[in-house]
Amino acid sequence: MSVSRDDFSIAFRSALLQRGGAQKFSVLSLIFLALIIFFLDVYGVKLTKPVRGILNDIVYRVTYLASTPSRALPKAGTGISSFMDVREENKKLRAQIEKYKLLELNVEFLNDENKNLQKILETEYFNKNLTNILLAKVLVDKNSPFLKSIIINKGTKNGVLKGMPITKDNYLVGRVVETNYLSARVLLLNDLNSRIPVTLNEGAQAILSGSGTKNPVLEYLPEDFELAEGINIFASGKDGIFNSGTPIGKINKNGSVDLFIDPNQLSFVTVNLNIRKRENL
Amino acid sequence: MAKVSILNKVYNAGPLILLYYLCISEVDTNLEKIFEIFTLNFQIIIIYFWVIKRPEIMANGHIFLAGLFNDVVMGFPLGISSLSYLIIIFVGNYVRNKSVNTTIASDWFTFFIAMVFSNLLFFSLLNNFSDLSFSYSKIGYNMFFTLFMFPIFWFLFNIYQMTFIGNRDV
Repeated sequence: MSVSRDDFSIAFRSALLQRGGAQKFSVLSLIFLALIIFFLDVYGVKLTKPVRGILNDIVYRVTYLASTPSRALPKAGTGISSFMDVREENKKLRAQIEKYKLLELNVEFLNDENKNLQKILETEYFNKNLTNILLAKVLVDKNSPFLKSIIINKGTKNGVLKGMPITKDNYLVGRVVETNYLSARVLLLNDLNSRIPVTLNEGAQAILSGSGTKNPVLEYLPEDFELAEGINIFASGKDGIFNSGTPIGKINKNGSVDLFIDPNQLSFVTVNLNIRKRENL
Repeated sequence: MAKVSILNKVYNAGPLILLYYLCISEVDTNLEKIFEIFTLNFQIIIIYFWVIKRPEIMANGHIFLAGLFNDVVMGFPLGISSLSYLIIIFVGNYVRNKSVNTTIASDWFTFFIAMVFSNLLFFSLLNNFSDLSFSYSKIGYNMFFTLFMFPIFWFLFNIYQMTFIGNRDV
């Protein structure tokens, strides 16, 4: 019995403390080091934040470079097939441009009319001020089973702050949760930690909660509210972060929400810098 | 002769390079697009297999560093992945010290124990010291598929080992 206990303790100690050969560090010393780093990162925010910011910026750039082959391979295949259709597409696009030119004039007229009407109603116009929009490239889009987030190539250097809304083609995608000098992390709407107040096109208010899957769900709907397929979801703007009326998605037949923008297919997004203006007001 | 030596070094570094690449690149083993619940923690399979079979090619310091890179890329508190990887190393070292020769069944069973301890530490630390919330069903699926896929990678890594590195089982 005592021999067996000795065996156990020898194997246990050896597993923790063994060094030599390729092993320059024992497991125990590295466990202590990892614990120190972990608690410094969790509690020593002021001390570790700048260090972590620099580390993040460097690692994100390296990640972007390291991921280039994995991005290029699928793109090469699709690139070849799309090249074959490029002529036809060009024709279609030219026709579309002509159509949009006509529509642009129409929109300009409606915009002016809208501005004048808003002035009459004395509503704040800054909500729809789109001059402070920053285009950002998605550096890293690592699909984790637990966290749904992306890294963009704009950080505090470009005026990106924590909490700023992120959109693509004017559809809401998520919000900034971590900023570094040259990069920022965006929490996507389908992440389990994402909660945003929304309005349904019937006027009802709810909270859109990420479920960790592709489709977020609606919570805290009014009592007796019946979910129907096809109802549009917009940001309500009640949190003061997202612009009210920003389209998000549509209710599907399962009762969850189909986002207008697929969170797995993001390559460029826009950061709405207006939130900073509002804070200064 | 020198060419052979360089090639051997490259083959020996293969698993470590793969580990670093998985931790730092965008490549992931989360195949939700194919099958909604299919997620896999490939890193711990690599670590456990090579720690048991050829610990000299999987240095502790490198695994620690790979864990730090993983934390930065994934947005976890720094050091948490390193801790979970170190638990895998610890269990692997212990099993290696206690056993003379290993079979796929014994490796599979001990891998399960290592994975349980590692994930227990990982998620209890995250749960208590960060604001991140997790879906427990996803954790369950992830553990199940990681365990389920272990024998497949065990065979693949064994082939790699026998072809490029050489078997050193007693």
